[in-house]
Amino acid sequence: MNTVRLYLRSMGILLKSQLQYPLSFLLQTLAQLIMEGGEMLAVVLLVDRFDHLNQWSAGDLYFFFGLMSVTFYITECFGRGITGNFPSMVRTGQLDTLLIRPRGILTQVLCSAVDPRRITCIAVGTVSLILGSRMSRVDWTAANILLLAESIFCGFWLILGLFLIEAILCIHSVKSVEIANALTYGGRSACQYPVDAFPRSLRTLFTVIAPFALVMHVPASRILGKPIFGWPDWVAWISPVSGFVLFAVMVFLFAKAMRFYRSTGS
Amino acid sequence: MKAFFSVFRMRLRMETQYRGAVLGGIVCQVFFGLILIAVYRALYAGKPQSLPLSHVTTYVWLQQAFFRMLLSSDAELMDKIRTGGIAYDLCRPVYLYGFYYARIMAQKLMGSLLRAFPMLVFAALLPEGWGISLPASLPALMLSLAALLLGLCCVCAMENISMALTMRTLDPRGFQAMLNLLMMILSGNILPLTLFPDSWQRVITLLPYAQMLDAPIRLYTGEYELTQGPGVILLQAGWTTLLVLAGMMLWRRNQDRLIIQGG
Repeated sequence: MNTVRLYLRSMGILLKSQLQYPLSFLLQTLAQLIMEGGEMLAVVLLVDRFDHLNQWSAGDLYFFFGLMSVTFYITECFGRGITGNFPSMVRTGQLDTLLIRPRGILTQVLCSAVDPRRITCIAVGTVSLILGSRMSRVDWTAANILLLAESIFCGFWLILGLFLIEAILCIHSVKSVEIANALTYGGRSACQYPVDAFPRSLRTLFTVIAPFALVMHVPASRILGKPIFGWPDWVAWISPVSGFVLFAVMVFLFAKAMRFYRSTGS
Repeated sequence: MKAFFSVFRMRLRMETQYRGAVLGGIVCQVFFGLILIAVYRALYAGKPQSLPLSHVTTYVWLQQAFFRMLLSSDAELMDKIRTGGIAYDLCRPVYLYGFYYARIMAQKLMGSLLRAFPMLVFAALLPEGWGISLPASLPALMLSLAALLLGLCCVCAMENISMALTMRTLDPRGFQAMLNLLMMILSGNILPLTLFPDSWQRVITLLPYAQMLDAPIRLYTGEYELTQGPGVILLQAGWTTLLVLAGMMLWRRNQDRLIIQGG
């Protein structure tokens, strides 16, 4: 419980420091809005031209887009320490200062940054989710709401886990490793569309290795009433847990990698 | 002029230093290209369009290959502005606009050529319906190369303007980020401009952003016919001249009343 308090306290302090430059903050938040707005515009224009993607209607596509965008940017907002700052912490040797403090490394890294500018991205995603669920006439039963919450929650850990891969590579190589972006940002770009739109190799990648499909598409398709892969209903409740599993594995590997950490010495 | 050439050459050399990073970038870019094409293929399977799929895949690959040309990437120059290091540049006995223009151009040219070659080779080896197709004709290829060069001049002029504006506001993250994102959308990087609604295209293709990569790509695929070529080139040249003049004016105003960040 102590850790959670520490995290919340750090968030409060960081938030305050970010708001010290209100104009800059406002402009940056606006820039984020344009960015995510542009991504959504692309989906809207594609839907306008093509009507549907396989069995998925316009509303379904907005729903998938919204789910990905909400989940991804919640992660980028609250997990900024891992998703953004870690490589520079290793390069500059800032990580050393964390080693001497009586708390876990990952906890401290997570406490070191927050990115409230992402709030506009999350807002765009929410709009898309609502729009999509209206158009596809989603019946918001308690079970569906719970399933959506589970999907977003597990998605948070999944994406954090994928960013940990970059962190692990970074400990070994010091330089930030751009290739790891293929799974994180690539996963976001790909899996804002339902995974069955992709050829087998990509589908396998995003189901088995980076299980975006299990965490997001299986529950989302169940909410939309068109189960993907034709799997039974109860699977949708279990499959998102795979995000958590991936995170656990990555934490384990991260701890192993830290044993090899050599300070850059600056 | 000699000074501009030497700064150009220096930046060219610098760009070739980090080959590992370039390779990583290429792999990522290729992966993104494949994802986009997979989505467009699935959409096309549901509802074929009058625009051939091969034009769309070619568009995607050319956009991915020359992505570095659009992306503003001179973080060093940004840092100079933020920390006040730009004062040293102001002391140089050269025309500053030209100095930065040459510097930005070298970076964009080398950065995109280094990436474009391997990526285009890879894209050419992909099976039919995934890869890049051949240009519409030999003259079309020549014309699109000329247009690409003009497009490069246009991007550099644009970036110089945003640089000048950053000098005003000192914070690159707000204003410049917004301009950058606008560029990504309106130049066809996020979604090919050819897939925008037809009524929008009539306006969008006239904007300066469409002159950078969209115009050369359309010339390459034959979307713009050869007879339209001179008109396209003229439009590009017009925008470039306009942007260069605006940039020069902004830089002069900046130099007249400049506050350097201390430290």
